[in-house]
Amino acid sequence: MGKSSATSKDAQALFHSLRSAYAATPTNLKIIDLYVIFAVATALIQVVYVGLVGSFPFNSFLSGVLSCVGTAVLAVCLRIQVNKENKEFKDLPPERAFADFVLCNLVLHLVIMNFLG
Amino acid sequence: MANLSIYIVTLLLFPILIASFSPENPTDRRILVLLDDLSLRSSHSIFFNSLQSRGFHLDFKLADDPTLSLQRYGQYSYDALILFSPSAERFGGSLDLAAILDFADSGHDVIVAADENASDLIRNIAAECGVDFDEDSSAVVIDHISYAVSETEGDHTLIASDDFIKSDVILGSAKIEAPVLFKGIGHSLNPANSLVLKVLSGSSSAYSANPKLKLSNPPALTGSYISLVSIVQARNNARILISGSLDLFSDKLFRSSVQKAGSSTRYGKSGNEQFVTELSKWVFHERGHLKAVNVKHNKVGQSEEPAMYRINDELEYSVEIYEWSGTSWEPYVANDVQLQFYMMSPYVLKTMSTDLKGLYHVSIKVPDVYGVFQFKIEYQRLGYTSLSLSKQIPVRPFRHNEYERFITTAFPYYGASFSTMAGFFIFSIVYLYNK
Repeated sequence: MGKSSATSKDAQALFHSLRSAYAATPTNLKIIDLYVIFAVATALIQVVYVGLVGSFPFNSFLSGVLSCVGTAVLAVCLRIQVNKENKEFKDLPPERAFADFVLCNLVLHLVIMNFLG
Repeated sequence: MANLSIYIVTLLLFPILIASFSPENPTDRRILVLLDDLSLRSSHSIFFNSLQSRGFHLDFKLADDPTLSLQRYGQYSYDALILFSPSAERFGGSLDLAAILDFADSGHDVIVAADENASDLIRNIAAECGVDFDEDSSAVVIDHISYAVSETEGDHTLIASDDFIKSDVILGSAKIEAPVLFKGIGHSLNPANSLVLKVLSGSSSAYSANPKLKLSNPPALTGSYISLVSIVQARNNARILISGSLDLFSDKLFRSSVQKAGSSTRYGKSGNEQFVTELSKWVFHERGHLKAVNVKHNKVGQSEEPAMYRINDELEYSVEIYEWSGTSWEPYVANDVQLQFYMMSPYVLKTMSTDLKGLYHVSIKVPDVYGVFQFKIEYQRLGYTSLSLSKQIPVRPFRHNEYERFITTAFPYYGASFSTMAGFFIFSIVYLYNK
């Protein structure tokens, strides 16, 4: 009893410290995180749906899921590149990173539209 | 002058030349008859006359005639060959075993009759056709149960046999009532040869031995294993008849009355004439010859023949099959003609329906497999010439724009794709203007 209450107290403390640490994150990174959560959630919904109705238009399923996954991956890449604390990309201007992100997204959605039919 | 005589001879020969065997008229016309001696012409006259009255042109020659030749300038002068020369050790002229086999290999018909004096040459011809005569040259077929009753007790070598092959196309539709009289040597069929068939087989009590000697060893050929008369239809539809008895064709046995031992019925006339006549009709392609014409295929609902089909197409295939009746092509009616849609193995095998006027028709669905297919009909039935048709046809997959679109089940995937696109648009605006 005493042990489990101590565990839940620890978890709460951990959660609090995570939240306070995250509150310090710049707004633009928060927006990217929100976008990633949206993409992953859409992908999960589709995976559940294919489990229910079967994989008949398999190409449509793949393109739907891969568009979400691709979006999430590209958004994470953008997040790594525009993060100020990331010393590896300190020479790369954030405008350049965003331009790369847009270009990759255009290519991704072109492919998705082709494969969706 | 010489030119003129050649011209006249050609003109005179012309009707004979054009009447010979052709796909349009499969019955043989010109027959070479080889005899041991010319007295056979009168002793077997009923058989020869029946052939002549059916329109055959018989050319009688002695087996050792030095001018014998089956072909002239690479063209065969005869459509069929009757070998009534069992004792000929070698033929005259250019005729030999190889020439006779070439003759059959090029689609011509042969009747071979042997007797107790059968020479090695005749035995070799038979052996090439899958028929092995008893190796003991003095042996004849003896049957102490189903022999033909005669005034004298005899040695039971005149056999009354009624073990016919059950085939209307080979022996005619009329039943042969009287037994067939047979006096000669027996043979066995080579089990490796699938084309040779027994037409008249010995009864279960028959055996092959020398009737003058006491039987010391068990005979090599016994029972219904013995074949008395056999036929071969080669893969090129050449037909060969092999009989162990020359007397089978003789006037004497045609006309003689017959009573089978153990039976009280006495027939005024043996079954030989009917048996031999019907069999010769079959051998000389007056019966059982099929042809297939007008092979057509098209998509259901269209009439022209496409160069290619798509997977899952519905198609119709039709063919006309006729049987030669000796004078005209009659519709062939059967319920077992099957079409194969074939690529390495049959993907579709379907029985065709007939309209009883010779037209066979079937509609099939192209399988869900693409590649180069064939329409195939392999029709092999006892007594009929084999039909083997094949026609190549490619089958292609769906074109890119032939797939189904906007499937209801896939709407969530479409929605997800478009919503990520919209999400990307909104994200870009929010991200750029959030300062």
